[in-house]
Amino acid sequence: MAALITHSPILIIAIPLAAAFLTIPIGMASRKARNALVIGSLTFVVFLVFALARDISINGIHLYTLGATSPDLTIPTGFMVPVRIILEVDGMSIFMGIIWSIVSLAAATYSLSHISSETGQTRFYTLLLLMVTGGFGMMFTGDLFNFFVFIEIASISGAALISFRTRFADTQEGGFKYIVVSAIASLMILFAIGLLYAQYNLLNIGALAQAIQYTTLDKIALALLLIALAMKTGMVPLHLWFPDSYSVAPASITGMLVITSHACMYAAFRICFTLYGGVINAPVVGWIIIIFGLLTMFVGVTMAVFQKDVMRFMSYHAVSQLGYMWVGVGVGLAVLGNTELLATYGRDAMSGGIFHILNHAMYKPLLFFTGGALFHYTGTRDLTKMGGLAHKMKWTTILYIIGTLSISGIPPLNGFSSKILIYESVYQFHPILTITGIIVSILTLASFTKAFHSAFMGAELPEYKEVKEVPKSMIIGMVILAAGIVFVTLFPSLVVDWAIHPAADALIDQGAYINAVTGAIP
Amino acid sequence: MTFILESGYAFWNPLIWIIVFIIVMVIVYFFRRRGQKGYKKDTDQAQIFLCGEEVPEAEQRHIRVGNIYWGFFETLKEYYDQILRLHTGIINDYILWFVAVTAISVIVLLIAGLAK
Repeated sequence: MAALITHSPILIIAIPLAAAFLTIPIGMASRKARNALVIGSLTFVVFLVFALARDISINGIHLYTLGATSPDLTIPTGFMVPVRIILEVDGMSIFMGIIWSIVSLAAATYSLSHISSETGQTRFYTLLLLMVTGGFGMMFTGDLFNFFVFIEIASISGAALISFRTRFADTQEGGFKYIVVSAIASLMILFAIGLLYAQYNLLNIGALAQAIQYTTLDKIALALLLIALAMKTGMVPLHLWFPDSYSVAPASITGMLVITSHACMYAAFRICFTLYGGVINAPVVGWIIIIFGLLTMFVGVTMAVFQKDVMRFMSYHAVSQLGYMWVGVGVGLAVLGNTELLATYGRDAMSGGIFHILNHAMYKPLLFFTGGALFHYTGTRDLTKMGGLAHKMKWTTILYIIGTLSISGIPPLNGFSSKILIYESVYQFHPILTITGIIVSILTLASFTKAFHSAFMGAELPEYKEVKEVPKSMIIGMVILAAGIVFVTLFPSLVVDWAIHPAADALIDQGAYINAVTGAIP
Repeated sequence: MTFILESGYAFWNPLIWIIVFIIVMVIVYFFRRRGQKGYKKDTDQAQIFLCGEEVPEAEQRHIRVGNIYWGFFETLKEYYDQILRLHTGIINDYILWFVAVTAISVIVLLIAGLAK
């Protein structure tokens, strides 16, 4: 077991990668065996992620040096700096890893029935597992170039999955837009990495953080990294591609794409706090993030309330909710240099933002899955054509209500817990942030009520007489996420103490991240 | 206590909320039980009564999504006209926005660096 935990960072990345390639020969032999491989490998990854999380909560940051005689040998003999690829998993990385592992498993389970009538299912699961690999790599790597490689893996597989249902023309357009936006973002990230490497001869984040001087080139690199990652998360006004791509993917993939957006947001936080944390002009960058975050919240929700396509409606809400996270963590960044303000409300604001990532990672994929369930039987995403579906789809209706109450921040659901943390803390920074947050929450509830009435309420419509509840595996996929919502609803303090505060502290404590790499000379 | 979330200024306990919710539900159920006992589910009593008028078919009486919040959209018509103009659906425009926001961010960071 000790060896398993020692090697768990690389195993968590390698297992889905190996399974991705194994699905092809196994899928040719047996469909059931392929499905068992996909679900089995992802279940084992969930186990490994929780085992690693427990280890990190006891022993602190977990390092894994690839190619070294010992996994914690970060700097080879005769070298002054780390030269090998290092996976560095701290409280924030593993927090993201937990989210990614659970949502991936739920999405794969949901897909078993959701794509059962599609052709090329083996390719679908290969791409899904590759996206899982890319996501874990982005979260666990301590190396900038490695991050670029993993974001490319996640983006290319994501684009292919968006376009997977080739019989729909809009999926091809959505996939094309996603790959163009991802390619531009990746190119800018690579360019920024080049600017840093040219100056410091380093790619390791910890070692770079120690050496960085905040020169003009560093500032340009910071802007390129931050805005490229912000575009990948769908920050307004760079969100325009987001509903075009997310609304046309299979619902299970849309749920996973939301988490890849979180992974890009995590990377932006890592850049601001860990890489540039010691030198950054925190109030200026913090305010930039807050202003764009406010825009993201407001424009996202006002566009959502206007939509008639159920998946576009949910995509715009995903944009809007991401704004809460930007604002919460942005406030923490703005007061990063002021120890008193950071202790008074900065850490709470960051915790609220990070807590909202967790909550959003459960209710948003759940809502996308319910949207997929509606599409599964009605064959349309158009809310104007729906009505009375609660008569036939009782499970979907209940799960939609859970997701709706949660995203709208209605007590006692988990969305309320993170929103109250954000509201109370960011109010101390500037009251307008809380006021905007509450208005956005009201509009969120209003728009979800509208969609609920349109799709589920009213008399049974004659065109949907034959509609029935979705298959069990789709229900199980949704129930996994709903169970997560119920757990966080009941035990908010447990989750905050065990996962959220360690994640926020991992971002604030830049020294610990640097020392784990540079101070680990044997 | 794992149920109590301290926000730094106040606290939130979902358990209290759930207990209060259950009590309210019990009270509601009590009043419902005292209601009319003569109701028969599958008779004309369960049919819609529209002051004697003919009741439209299900698809005609369902309020569709396009008719909800009409007043809200009319009030914010100018805002929506402007915001919808940005959503062109053209990928070239999306990338132009990226270039513009990146350029502004670089300029802000450089100016802020000079001021520092």
